[in-house]
Amino acid sequence: MPGSPIIELRNLGKHYGNTVALDDINLDILDNEAFALLGPNGAGKTTLLHILCSILTPDSGTATIAGFDVVRQPLRARKNLGVVFQEPSLDDRLTVYENLDFHCLIYQVPARERKKRIAEVLELVELSDWRDKLVRTLSSGMKRRLEIARALVHDSRIVFLDEPTVGLDVQSRARIWGYLDELRKRRQLTLVVTTHYIEEVENCDRVCIIDQGRIMAIGTPAGLKSDYGHQSLRVVPIDADALRDIEAAFPDAGRQDDELVMPVPDDRFAGAFLARYGNRVKEFVLDTPSLEQVFLALTGRALRDKEASGRERTYAFGRRGGEHTR
Amino acid sequence: MHLLGGVYAIWLREVKRALRDRGQLIGGISRPLLWVLIMGIGLNPYFRGEIYGEVRFVVPYTYLQFIFPAVIVLNIMYTSVQSAVSVIWDREFGFLREVLVSPMPRSLILFGKILGGTTVAVLHGCLVLILARFADVTFGLDQLLKGLGLMALLAFGLTSLGVIIANRVRSFEGFGVFSNAIILPLYFTSSSIFPLDPALSRAQTRVVYPDWLVTIIEYNPLTYAVDALRGALIGYNQFAPWLGIAVMAGAGVVLFAIALFDFRRA
Repeated sequence: MPGSPIIELRNLGKHYGNTVALDDINLDILDNEAFALLGPNGAGKTTLLHILCSILTPDSGTATIAGFDVVRQPLRARKNLGVVFQEPSLDDRLTVYENLDFHCLIYQVPARERKKRIAEVLELVELSDWRDKLVRTLSSGMKRRLEIARALVHDSRIVFLDEPTVGLDVQSRARIWGYLDELRKRRQLTLVVTTHYIEEVENCDRVCIIDQGRIMAIGTPAGLKSDYGHQSLRVVPIDADALRDIEAAFPDAGRQDDELVMPVPDDRFAGAFLARYGNRVKEFVLDTPSLEQVFLALTGRALRDKEASGRERTYAFGRRGGEHTR
Repeated sequence: MHLLGGVYAIWLREVKRALRDRGQLIGGISRPLLWVLIMGIGLNPYFRGEIYGEVRFVVPYTYLQFIFPAVIVLNIMYTSVQSAVSVIWDREFGFLREVLVSPMPRSLILFGKILGGTTVAVLHGCLVLILARFADVTFGLDQLLKGLGLMALLAFGLTSLGVIIANRVRSFEGFGVFSNAIILPLYFTSSSIFPLDPALSRAQTRVVYPDWLVTIIEYNPLTYAVDALRGALIGYNQFAPWLGIAVMAGAGVVLFAIALFDFRRA
């Protein structure tokens, strides 16, 4: 169960030149919750995470992790943290085991626990058989899993996952979420996930929608949907007569070919519609509100078509001051 | 105490990566072979002067013996400056972030890294030592230990230098060109392949050799490193023996400080 705030952001601001990346962010992330940052590319999600990992320093405001200020006490703040970055960060000339062992050593995991924990996390992400293989030989999905294992191996209280499933096939994505859910059952863990896959957000306790450096809304997935989403009814009438009649009865219905889409004002609407026209439609679909809709309502843009291509992502990386262009 | 474990991990990673890199190892073997066998043996007969028909070595050593310590320095130079490529590699392939978000202070991250580079460079220096008997260089255990100490001191400073370069050059290709542009001039002007004749006074030296060259050699810190190593391994010094240690230690501290300053800012 989520508890007291473990990450606190106060008036956090960051800009790159004239571009505002984060604009006066105030946010509490609670202990033991799964928290999602949802937004299109360039919304400021990664910037936010990088400030929390103290890779970037904020221009204004403060951020604390477990009570430690990320600017003034970065080493202590980072001690509780496991991070999975958007870009891969494994040493592919070392073996799977060596990567994890390196990580344990720099995170000061006691020697007697190291072997045991490495075995545990490898088990969790189903990479035990690959223990002594060079990372170079792993597929990208396996590398991702290894990175997740690595973020967990030092018993981190908080794990940041920056687009953990981007570029992976549906199967690998489902698997990664499977591991994370499994882990949250086993031990106390705060997850902070950035993503632009809406369906992944549904797994989280709370969602923060962020766009152009500002928080647009925070709430549970269900709460956001009931606040910003709306139900709609899609029907396909059996013939042109029926179509005409229904269209006349519901002037605010939108028409797409032979399909009618109408807003649902209350819970009784669907029943009433069926009672009257039930025998004159061949398809009847009640669309429940989705986060996609919520996002559209809040930002006026669809999230999906903002999914950037590889090239756009590289450009965005460069604009953010990506490290090889600096 | 726990932090030392982290330094150990970073050091171990550098060493493992270097030992797994075949190309680097081949370079480390072929370079001294070329210098000692071809250059050394080739120039050996010319390294002497004739006074009243009597053949004398300008320096009381054969050319092979004379350049042998300098070849060690060359191998260390290449390896330590090259080891800084891993700084670029880490940045380019994202591994740097893994280290930067860990609870390790940046100073120790850098220290571990430079220590790793130093170790590899000293190992490459030892590859040259294997050729000692071909160069007619014999030394006792005490000389060897002293030599190893000097090699480590030198490698530490040079690895720091490599890291400084790597922080300024952001591509692999650029680094290769840049490091060569620094290594070779430094090496050639360190009295490594020719002696400043010790029989001559300072004023005479400036007559025999052009003034500018002597000046460069005297201002080149590497001159004193080569000299110190020569002193340790073949017992021949052109300058005061302590000078080499002092210059290397000073350069090591200063270069590490600059590298750390860069690394903190990055």
